[in-house]
Amino acid sequence: MPNRIICSFFGILACVACSGNPQATSNPVKTPLVVFAAGSLIIPFTALEKAFEAEYPDIDVLSEYHGSIQVMRHVTDLHESIDVVATADASLIPMLMYATTHPDSGQPNANWYIRFATNRLALAYRPESRYAGEINVENWMDVLARPNVLTGIADPRFDASGYRALMAFALAEMSTRRYDLFDAMFRNQFTYPITIFRDDPLTTITVPEILEMESNAHVVLRGASIELIALLEAGEMDYAFEYESVILQHGLEMLRLPDEVNLGEASLDSLYHSVQVDLDFQRFATVKPQFLGEQIGYGITIASGALHPEEAALFISFLLGPQGRLIMEEQHHAMLTPPGVDGAEHIPASIFGVISPAGGE
Amino acid sequence: MKTVKGLHLVFAVSGSLLLAFIVLPLAGILLNTSPAAFFKALADPEVFSSIELTFRAAAIATLLAAFTGIPLAYLLARRSFRGKAVVEALVNLPIIIPHVAAGIALLLVFGRRGLLGHNLEPLGIIFTDSLGGIVVGMLFVSLPYLVNLSRESFVLVDPELERVALADGASAWQAFWYVTLALSWRGVLGGALMMWARGISEFGAVVILSYHPKIVPVLVFERFQGFGLAASQPVAAVLILVTLALFIILRLALMPVPEY
Repeated sequence: MPNRIICSFFGILACVACSGNPQATSNPVKTPLVVFAAGSLIIPFTALEKAFEAEYPDIDVLSEYHGSIQVMRHVTDLHESIDVVATADASLIPMLMYATTHPDSGQPNANWYIRFATNRLALAYRPESRYAGEINVENWMDVLARPNVLTGIADPRFDASGYRALMAFALAEMSTRRYDLFDAMFRNQFTYPITIFRDDPLTTITVPEILEMESNAHVVLRGASIELIALLEAGEMDYAFEYESVILQHGLEMLRLPDEVNLGEASLDSLYHSVQVDLDFQRFATVKPQFLGEQIGYGITIASGALHPEEAALFISFLLGPQGRLIMEEQHHAMLTPPGVDGAEHIPASIFGVISPAGGE
Repeated sequence: MKTVKGLHLVFAVSGSLLLAFIVLPLAGILLNTSPAAFFKALADPEVFSSIELTFRAAAIATLLAAFTGIPLAYLLARRSFRGKAVVEALVNLPIIIPHVAAGIALLLVFGRRGLLGHNLEPLGIIFTDSLGGIVVGMLFVSLPYLVNLSRESFVLVDPELERVALADGASAWQAFWYVTLALSWRGVLGGALMMWARGISEFGAVVILSYHPKIVPVLVFERFQGFGLAASQPVAAVLILVTLALFIILRLALMPVPEY
């Protein structure tokens, strides 16, 4: 009886459908805490999530990692229910979250942030990368500009690491006084060019609305800098602009860039301020996306539309407390001591207690 | 006979190129994964629960489609009505639409602010970051396989046989069950298997609705993007092997090779 075969198959399906490993789905007993973070935080935050869930077994952290601007867009454009927002560029929070409102409450999407960590821009490569034996801190821009060298850069429209890589080129031009390097790298790479306007005191780089690689381009773009890692490992590119923490986490070869270029030194902020990247497009209706060079600062906040603000505060306190700091340091990600704050009067008291144990400023 | 032989030989050569195109990447990923890394991935509880979730969600989607899609397929095979071409085109739409676009369209309906999602949320039925969202995504993109293959096999059953059963005193339900389905079971079953398999492999529509809990394609994608090649390749190899093994077993058990 062939129908028995059909019935038995649907029986199997029914068994599979009802089989319950309850932990596979979000456990309804646990409180879900939605964390959206910059891709470069994925490894330390995965370790942090594990330690946090061990400390607070009733909370289930659901994390997603994207380019920093994409992280913002999940809150401001897609209105997803997100609790904790962590970006690789703290300045994105006032620019995109303070300036936009949550559709239900009409309140700004955020009104405070903590600038909690920094980083340095560097070049990741493999021992087999073209000219790996030759590249050094003096000639890296010439090596990258060679047409047969494939260099990965995060898309500056989506990821902070992308516009920071553009800044690094402009800063390197200034420190070496060789004003042909940016053009050598980026000319003829995109159907609509990235332009640079060198002026005193500000050099402005403009990124067009549409950024398409030419078919023979030697610059490889991806949505977020961490997406470049697997491609670099697979030999799809020779070099990639990455943060030092990410390169060390993956055990890749690293060329450190000079402090005047790597955006990692607070004392060089006045130098970094001499470059700016403008995103030339209208997608942010109310916001003008302009990024002034400064020391890399990661920002974290709780979205005003958070469904679980108390758990979010616990998570941020855990990150900024001794256990979180230790995990970040183990993953080579430098924390800022003391962290910077904006909108201090809005920061939950429990978090404030962690960053200033003496009892507030 | 000589010319036929030549033709078949040439076709066999060109056809085997295509087969090599399928086999090479699969063999490559399996051979390039060290046994140690493979078993480590297999023992990883996150990988295991993710595989279990993926198969379960696709099974739920297939069951939902069985109760709605098989009746639809039967009607499409038996009745002609105005707008039938439109209905058939509608059923095929999910194959044509890019799945990421389908995910966005589903989000607008089933998301927390969506038409259905907004009204079902008070009842505790949530389609974002939940099993429900995964099932909805899989159901949408894989239902054409069940409906189309079932319809084709219903068409092959001569309606005269159903009429004979009716004339002999069977009810319409009995005629469907004992005659139509008994003769078309192979296609219906094949459609259900295809749908289940297609659901398991879906990424684009699901990732937009439900990044969490992570189905295996999302897990592999996240590990590839965030953790690199070495972290994602063993998981991909596990997924390929588990899926292959399951479908080979099911095919052997359920569908004895027809004799020609």
